[in-house]
Amino acid sequence: MSGGKTFWRSIAEYQRSDAFGEMLKAEFPSLFELWTVDRREVLRVMGASLALAGMAGCKPVRSDDVVPFVNRPEGLLEGRTEHYATAVPFDGFAQPVVATTSGGRPIKLDGNPEHPAFRGGSTPFMQAAILDLYDPDRSQAPLAGGRPASWGDFDGQMAKWRAAWAQSRGAGLRILIGPTSSPTLLRQIAELKAALPQARVHLFDPLSGYAGEPPTRLRPNLANAEVVVSLDDDLLGPGAMQAINARAWGERHGDLDVSNRMRLYVAETTPTQTGAKADRRIGVPPSRLAMLAKAIVAGGEVTLTEAEIAWAKEAPAALEAARGRSLLTVGRFAPPEVQALALQVNQALGNVGKTCDLAAPLTYVPGAGESFLDLVRDIEARRVSALFVLGVNPVYQSPGDVPFARIYAKVPLRVHAGLHVDETAALSNWHMPLNHALEDWSDACSPDGLATIIQPVVRPMYDTRSLHELVAALTADEAASAQQVVRQTWPQLAAGAAWAGALKTGFVAAPQQTAATPAPVQVAPPIPQPRDDQVEIVIRPDPTIHDGSFANNGWLQELPKPLFKTTWENVVAISPRLASQMQVDSGDMLRLESDGRAVEGPAWVLPGQPERVVTLYLGYGRTRGGSIGTGTGYDAYRMRGIAQPWNAVGTVKPTGAKTKLATTQEQHLMDGEVEGLIRTVSPEHPSARRGAEETDETSFYPKWPEGKTAWGMVIDLDRCIGCNACVVACQAENNVPVVGKKQVYEGREMAWLRVDRYYAGDPDEPETHFEPVPCMHCEQAPCEMGCPVHATVHSPEGLNLMVYNRCIGTRTCSSYCPYKVRRFNWFDYTSDQPSPIEAQRNPDVTVRGRGVMEKCTYCIQRIEAAEVQADIENRDVREGEVTTACQQACPAQAIRFGNLADAESAVAKQRRSPRNYALLGEQGTRPRTTYLAKIGEKADGE
Amino acid sequence: MPQIFSRTADTWFRALALGALVLAVALFGGAFAFARSQYWDVVARTPDQPVPFSHKHHVTDDGIDCRYCHSTVETSANAGFPATHVCMTCHSQLWTNAEVLAPVRQSLAENRPIDWHRVARVPDYVYFRHDIHIAKGIACVECHGRIDKMPLTYRAKAFEMKFCLDCHRDPAPRLRPRDQVYNFDWKPPPDHAALERRLMAAYHIKSPVELTSCGTCHR
Repeated sequence: MSGGKTFWRSIAEYQRSDAFGEMLKAEFPSLFELWTVDRREVLRVMGASLALAGMAGCKPVRSDDVVPFVNRPEGLLEGRTEHYATAVPFDGFAQPVVATTSGGRPIKLDGNPEHPAFRGGSTPFMQAAILDLYDPDRSQAPLAGGRPASWGDFDGQMAKWRAAWAQSRGAGLRILIGPTSSPTLLRQIAELKAALPQARVHLFDPLSGYAGEPPTRLRPNLANAEVVVSLDDDLLGPGAMQAINARAWGERHGDLDVSNRMRLYVAETTPTQTGAKADRRIGVPPSRLAMLAKAIVAGGEVTLTEAEIAWAKEAPAALEAARGRSLLTVGRFAPPEVQALALQVNQALGNVGKTCDLAAPLTYVPGAGESFLDLVRDIEARRVSALFVLGVNPVYQSPGDVPFARIYAKVPLRVHAGLHVDETAALSNWHMPLNHALEDWSDACSPDGLATIIQPVVRPMYDTRSLHELVAALTADEAASAQQVVRQTWPQLAAGAAWAGALKTGFVAAPQQTAATPAPVQVAPPIPQPRDDQVEIVIRPDPTIHDGSFANNGWLQELPKPLFKTTWENVVAISPRLASQMQVDSGDMLRLESDGRAVEGPAWVLPGQPERVVTLYLGYGRTRGGSIGTGTGYDAYRMRGIAQPWNAVGTVKPTGAKTKLATTQEQHLMDGEVEGLIRTVSPEHPSARRGAEETDETSFYPKWPEGKTAWGMVIDLDRCIGCNACVVACQAENNVPVVGKKQVYEGREMAWLRVDRYYAGDPDEPETHFEPVPCMHCEQAPCEMGCPVHATVHSPEGLNLMVYNRCIGTRTCSSYCPYKVRRFNWFDYTSDQPSPIEAQRNPDVTVRGRGVMEKCTYCIQRIEAAEVQADIENRDVREGEVTTACQQACPAQAIRFGNLADAESAVAKQRRSPRNYALLGEQGTRPRTTYLAKIGEKADGE
Repeated sequence: MPQIFSRTADTWFRALALGALVLAVALFGGAFAFARSQYWDVVARTPDQPVPFSHKHHVTDDGIDCRYCHSTVETSANAGFPATHVCMTCHSQLWTNAEVLAPVRQSLAENRPIDWHRVARVPDYVYFRHDIHIAKGIACVECHGRIDKMPLTYRAKAFEMKFCLDCHRDPAPRLRPRDQVYNFDWKPPPDHAALERRLMAAYHIKSPVELTSCGTCHR
């Protein structure tokens, strides 16, 4: 085979070190490490698993209780799932979902397919929100001064406070809320301000800045954009619009006819998924971003580097060439003057109203004197007598130069309401537990401007209340239920049928939206320029834990970060050049100092990182983040300044210490023709096939008989944005356990579907590729040949089945698997999980025991359900009737699943595409999962 | 040097070796027999129930259809266990003061479910579905036996894999017309072979290869 690129997964592999070669050969990397250290330890571990694994199946069949209803709810069928449209919040916006419940328990969330903007797409955060519902560390009852209390006690106090505020018109009363787009909450706030004009409602939004109102931003509408120039805007990365943007991206990719294709130019201060998918990407330090922006408007600038000048010439030319169909977008972390530039350029190009909108913000806009900074000043001036902190955690998320824990203590009455007894709750007089969104009546707007009525899909599990009820109680003596409060906001849905319709479809036109008038550009402090001995520090939300609010979510903790593939902690991203200058490697501890503040975190050598830029990630270092969220990583909030939350300058130096990072980037390595794993074609050279051996079907083994169903999957690498939604969806659907940091480090993470990340080219400016790898369901499956007990067998429909109750755990199948997609239960990962996590489990999927091998099943439970339904109706399964969990979640529609034997099915058509190729095709496994090559300007080998 | 082994030692050794062999075979055979026994399979045992419910009385004497109580048997994997409310549709009028029905009345009054003990049960890793079996004309009696003759309910068949596979390998003899599925007294017609052929075609019964593929029941 020839003509392929040389791919590498890490700097060590790029440098082709011997140690890497050894690791590649080892089945489980950690075992390889143990072997070199202590042979006995290996034998002990293996001996224990051999001795005990076989016993897992020897349990007598229990005779158990069966507890029927007293009154069966109308329409409920035992053993069937129910679906309800609702939404989960993210950054204050709605993420419309359809919740699946089984026996009254919500077990899965998926994007709402009826929603015009989301159209069924998910993000990892939407998928993982269900685990937060079952978080064992959720706050379950009110606390007064840290001691258990009751809502009755609180209501009694509230009546007294309310009387006092009614007299003083709310003087001294302050409320601190997070970003919210809930029309009901916004109405309640407006009414509260009218009733108590002296009270103030401050906004706490650590991801938009702490001081003053955020600058006017354009809302991108990527569906209409043919050319997109992004200045540090991670359009495809985590965010409330990720699923919407990914859908538009997917629709403009994956077609060899490139007339509809989106071209993406990205200049970014730290590598992101958007940069990884860009046609032209450059890394630029934040201190030069504004200059680059000016160069786009006014032409070349002498102080820019050659690469920057080239980019700054090409990008505006492309924008100009596609007037009205192009978009210049600027990230939320960029300075206001650059944001203003984006508006100016898009207006000049006639893009506003087409590829972007200038809409009034959907979220709460605080009035004058209502920023977090204003609150801090007012507390210091003793103007605050009561502070209600509603659903936010300022003690943890305040910037490093505001010691909010100390400032907060100066408020005489501190009430915190939230899902967890967090850092702020611990310092409050009262902590009041709130409902999870899936237990609550509420509403919220999705970023496209539609609203969703949030309906409860399960009754509150604990002694919790709705935020709306709590806010209503600030002014009203008569307690209204959350449902009543929400319904008051929607007079147009007053009729029962209209209300039921809005709940059923999951979206409704939002209250009147007006076009915004751009606010005057605020003068922000300039981005600091580093001295020669300093580096620029960029601070970003963590790719999976976000601002820290997902810290206690095991799925997101164990989800490999899209670019680093690290889990369970945050890293300090540094460039390969800076790493070699400092002679550090990934895992070496670094100490960053800036403006008298310091943090220490493990280095991660990140290809594509601008040379003297260091990136820190928020969300870790929690002190009260729950049983798994506490004590992991470092706290990057401490490095933020209130005026300049995203950038700093400072020094970085290695401490000499080293940590073990639990990264999956060098685990489950496929040993084969690495050059052919990711392929690129061009419109001129559309064929991804290489060499005859790939299509050679000669085999020692007989062919399986062909039936009328042959399940297969095609994954379009041109569309995949590496977002990991599929990975979390698979975990939720298939009861995949969380194993913890140490086990991940040992190479024992259980995810059935992994997204491999490969680099190619120069580490300073690499190409980045994502490749989801589920089980290939090979027609000539090596694992099936290897299993001594026939625990993995072939189905007539081509599925490579795993029979758990036969498996004795020899792991031969895994060592035979060239794709390394099999996962072994080294321990019992499920039975000691704290309650109520087990309530999330999918009843249609076996919970695997210790000593058993498992892997992707193509969601056989969904196939079986569809086949049984078709069989009852005496017909064949229809095209599109079976969707796998990963396919359903994918916001870019990169995954297709269906019947290959049906020539008209979408998946069969894609398989006939010249872009279609098999992974390690030369090995003759004839996989049922195949890939569609990326489309580039140049094909491989050109 | 004296003899270490006595004259009879060899005989003793042979007897002991033979005895050990017999014991081993007996233990193994015993364990095997136990694993195939009705005791292990929990067959023909009537667990204590909160109410001594009689299928015989309700089905044979009163002529109530299975689906009156097991209402989701045709539409869901689960046959459905009757809610207390279903019992009370009749028992609010009949036997309103019967001592044995006190737990039912109590359940309705206190809104607390009745805690029954499951009789028919397959292991967790078996995904049995009622709906498809009914749709394909497999009668209740095939798995549940003559439940219409049971004063107290017990498991009629050993739900071992062999039991399922016997039918999945050769379903034809067990097929019935759809309207005879709930009829415990149905007798196959004299030309049963013709009926089998007709039903196999009408129900589109899958091939034994498909029906015995592991993924049909395990996943």
